[in-house]
Amino acid sequence: MAPKADSMTYDEPRLADYTYDSTIDRGSIDMPFALLTLVLLTVGVIMVLSASFARAYYDPTNETGGNATYYFVRQALFALCGVGVMFVCSRFPMGFYRHISGIVMMVSIVLLVLVLIPGIGDKVNGARRWINLGFTTFQPSEIAKIGVIMYFSVLICQLKNKIANFREGLLKFAVVLGIVCGLLVLEPHMSAIIIILAIGMVMLFLGGLPLRWFITGGVAGASLLGLGYAVFPYVRDRFYAWLNPFADASDAGYQIVQSLYSIGSGGLLGLGLGNSRQKFLYLPEEHNDFIFSIVCEELGFIGAMLILVLFALLIIRGYWLAMHARDRYSALVGAGITTHLAMQVILNVAVCTNSIPCTGISLPLFSYGGTALLLQMAELGIILSLSRDIVEKR
Amino acid sequence: MFKKRREKKEASSVNRMMLRRTLFLMIVCGIVAFILLGARLFKLQIVDHDMYETAAVEQQLRQTNIPAQRGTIYDRNMNILAMSATVSNIYISPAEIKANEEDPVVIATRLSEILGVDYATIYEMTSHTDSWYSTVARKVEDDVADQVRQFKEEGYYDKDGEHMTFTGVKIEEASKRYYPYGTLACHVLGFTGMDDHGLAGLEYYYDDLLAGKNGRIVRATNAYGTDMMFTKFEDYYDAEDGQSIVTTIDETVQRYLEKHLETAAADYDLLDGAAGIVMDVNTGAILGMASLGNFDPNDYLAVSPEAQERVDTAMIDVPEDRDTLLAEERNLQWRNKALTETYEPGSVFKIITLASGLESGAVTTHSNFYCGGSLNVLGRTDPLNCWNVYGHGNETLTEAAMYSCNIAFTMMGQMIGAERFYKYLHAFGLFDRTRIDLPGEASSLWWSEDVFFNKANLSQLAAASFGQTFTITPIQLITAVSAVANGGYLMEPYLVSEVLDSDGNVVSQHEPTVVRQVISEETSRTCCQILEQVVSGQNATGKNAYVAGYHVCGKTGTSEDVNYEVEHGEKKYICSFLGFAPANDPQVAVLVLCENPGPESKVGASGGNMGAPTVGKILQDVLPYLGVQPEYAEGEEGLVDVRMPRLIGKTLDEARELLAKVGLSVKSVQGDGAAVTAQLPAPNAKIAGSSEVIIYCGGEPDMTPEQMPNLLGLSYEIARIRAGWQDLYIRGEGVMINSNDILTVSQSIEEGQLVEPGTVITMTLADSSLGATART
Repeated sequence: MAPKADSMTYDEPRLADYTYDSTIDRGSIDMPFALLTLVLLTVGVIMVLSASFARAYYDPTNETGGNATYYFVRQALFALCGVGVMFVCSRFPMGFYRHISGIVMMVSIVLLVLVLIPGIGDKVNGARRWINLGFTTFQPSEIAKIGVIMYFSVLICQLKNKIANFREGLLKFAVVLGIVCGLLVLEPHMSAIIIILAIGMVMLFLGGLPLRWFITGGVAGASLLGLGYAVFPYVRDRFYAWLNPFADASDAGYQIVQSLYSIGSGGLLGLGLGNSRQKFLYLPEEHNDFIFSIVCEELGFIGAMLILVLFALLIIRGYWLAMHARDRYSALVGAGITTHLAMQVILNVAVCTNSIPCTGISLPLFSYGGTALLLQMAELGIILSLSRDIVEKR
Repeated sequence: MFKKRREKKEASSVNRMMLRRTLFLMIVCGIVAFILLGARLFKLQIVDHDMYETAAVEQQLRQTNIPAQRGTIYDRNMNILAMSATVSNIYISPAEIKANEEDPVVIATRLSEILGVDYATIYEMTSHTDSWYSTVARKVEDDVADQVRQFKEEGYYDKDGEHMTFTGVKIEEASKRYYPYGTLACHVLGFTGMDDHGLAGLEYYYDDLLAGKNGRIVRATNAYGTDMMFTKFEDYYDAEDGQSIVTTIDETVQRYLEKHLETAAADYDLLDGAAGIVMDVNTGAILGMASLGNFDPNDYLAVSPEAQERVDTAMIDVPEDRDTLLAEERNLQWRNKALTETYEPGSVFKIITLASGLESGAVTTHSNFYCGGSLNVLGRTDPLNCWNVYGHGNETLTEAAMYSCNIAFTMMGQMIGAERFYKYLHAFGLFDRTRIDLPGEASSLWWSEDVFFNKANLSQLAAASFGQTFTITPIQLITAVSAVANGGYLMEPYLVSEVLDSDGNVVSQHEPTVVRQVISEETSRTCCQILEQVVSGQNATGKNAYVAGYHVCGKTGTSEDVNYEVEHGEKKYICSFLGFAPANDPQVAVLVLCENPGPESKVGASGGNMGAPTVGKILQDVLPYLGVQPEYAEGEEGLVDVRMPRLIGKTLDEARELLAKVGLSVKSVQGDGAAVTAQLPAPNAKIAGSSEVIIYCGGEPDMTPEQMPNLLGLSYEIARIRAGWQDLYIRGEGVMINSNDILTVSQSIEEGQLVEPGTVITMTLADSSLGATART
């Protein structure tokens, strides 16, 4: 038993030691990462204005009262708060996060249970995913994603090489993932399950789990997918609509066909900022999950690629920071959060372009949604926090 | 120490693995995935850009049609033969019904009630929610459209109690074609289809002109079909209304033509109907053209009851076969036989042989022929027989025409010679289409020159000289004969004389087109003299075409449809007559074809029995209508109105002489003075010929008014005599023909009114069998 044997770890302080900004000798935040985040956030908020004003104006769901800037103003306010949250989070030392990881995980699970209770969780389109706080709503699954990243990182640090031992290592991860995914199945929330499972896999991958387990996991995942395909008719429908979106362009394939129309009609240079036609109620979720389609329509191939490059740079920088993190926990959390960001971006764009079957995944920093944005900014804040500990940058 | 180093090494290897794996993720998630997504975007935005843009624009733009008003078709007196009126198309937009959550059951129920369309059909339409346009009913009248509009506006109350209209129910302006005279001139007019474009006749031929150009409004709209905010994209294309055409058809002439063809069809049991053309010989203008059986262009798909019965009794179980049969019947009724079919003209063609012979100098009016009943023709194994097997004996050229002698005309053909004969036929336009402005004109069928010009076989020439072994269209024949009649000028027949723009201004006018002069005016005059004898000569074949007061020329023709006999094993005759009048200055030509007389016919099947009387009746109606002055023979003068001479101051004898000059006589002489002091009726009054006037020699007439008698329903003569009982006089208007059918239909002073003696009452006469007041 030699906890101090690992030179990367140091004496575990108590939580009380991690008061806000207690470590005055920390370095500055990583400017490239912070700037990329702010640029993408700004473009994202502008795109919310452009994409949402038609729906806000026509107000088919009686939500905005015909105020064309309704979504934009709310998103802009949340973005401002988000910037604050990011910088606040960047001030907390990494030890603090390590310390609260278990608590975050516990809170996530409690919230995932609460959301299932009618009266607390709002039922929308047959699924109970939202908790209404009165002034805003949020999805516990979003917190669960951070919870899994943080808690798995702590577990990996504690288990070290025992991770491959099924009883002592792998089982613990499996139990946590099982509980979280089980609760998400009850909502149900397919896309969240996919992302959380993927995050879990990636954390184990980073933690050094031998590759054979991933082969086993891959086979298991494929079988699960096959099972889902066989058991749930709506999964089958999704697959069919994915492969033949134009076969039922008015119903099952409607969303994806409209998205393809938007992207395709953008061409090289796009219709110009604000000039999308598809946003006039043709494309559903145009300021939300499909905001990237409007980006493509208005800014064209050039504009869309520019934004994708900015995202790629942010992601690469995120991994780079994780690789240079001062300790194992920071490295794991940094890589986990970056992977979460990357996955959301890649899957969202893949859905918009009909590269994968349609599922509800939002585009970080772009999609409309206040609490989700705040949580994303908090995650990015944690990466900025770990970047402070890197002595030699670049 | 050792242990520690080993642990350190172990730890760093773990870290190296973590770094490797993080780097792997960085490459996969930060580079590879984005390259793939970039490639995908390239495919969608650059490679397939056009496809998606087209599809997107198609859904974003809405077109609203502004229908152009189709032009009117007038007859030559500006009577409307075809016109368009605005009606409505009712359609629904299932996509909007769904989007606005309107109740498809309510919509289907009400529309079904209002429009009489099956409920299930409409309800089924509403289920195709990707459609923006499903037509429920086409071309409904205004009152029905108003009911739909009312239903749409009344709308419903949604769950919030708000009043909503049925936005998914749409009313679109459309236009409908009306043919006020029904079946009249149906083959000339043709008809228009569902899309308001001409499918036959003038409607088809002049479609570009009549149709105009539909306008449209193109707007960019949001998914709910309302305007796209900020994106002000709207294009407006004005509709250009169609132009109108004034035809040469005369509604009255057409009516006469169709009436007498129908009579012929009934009297002669014509199994294949009848066809007829009335042409202005001097211009080529078609005044009337008919092809029985008729159809109603207002409902051009409906077949006659007889045809429907034929289809119904055909014992066919397969619906497709029934449809085929029905389609055949339709094609049959839509045929304009005067134009689209060729036939053997038979003896009518002798007019052309005669004209060619005279013009070429091969024969003269002094030529003589001998007909022994048959003639050996080079190339024929059996002798050629004349229709009169006993032979016509010695005959002049005129007699050969009068008796329609085949032998004489065969000789005439040989005198002309095959080459020269064909040259004249070419000149008469019999090898070319007439280029009349109607669709579907058939082309004639002739022997090739090497067969026809064969010196060793004259049988083709022989048959052709009396109108057999070739086929031409009726319009070709009447056009060629018109050239014989009008001084030798081959005219291009035409139907449209003027084109008017939508405001009624003349855009273009058709001037009569002379194709060429075929024969000299002198030859033409000679032909007319000879052909008049065919009608008025003693025992002539065309005597049934005689019309009192007019010198009618003409030629009979009885031909067999050889192909029909081969196919059906029975003989089919086409009994025709071509007449024109008046002989000294031909104005109008009439060709009538009576096809396939059946066993119920009242007379024998021949052109003289069937064609000639029909043409005669048509000319009897048409000539006075066209204002051709009659020249009455004895006994016919009572039909002519005359001017009452001024008798006052004249002696009685002088007065009688003056009256006799104009065909009037004296009923009574009042007083015994030497000179006339008063007269009834007044000088210069126009009264009916043969009227009896009253002369006063001293003293004044008793002008006590008397009650006006009823003179209606009488012949002109009886009315004149009846009026004379009360010292009243009549003059006539309308159809002034000596015929049992022509009766008085109105009088200028009503029965019971007080009238002074000597008053002239204007009577209108009309053909009572026509059932309508004739035009004056």
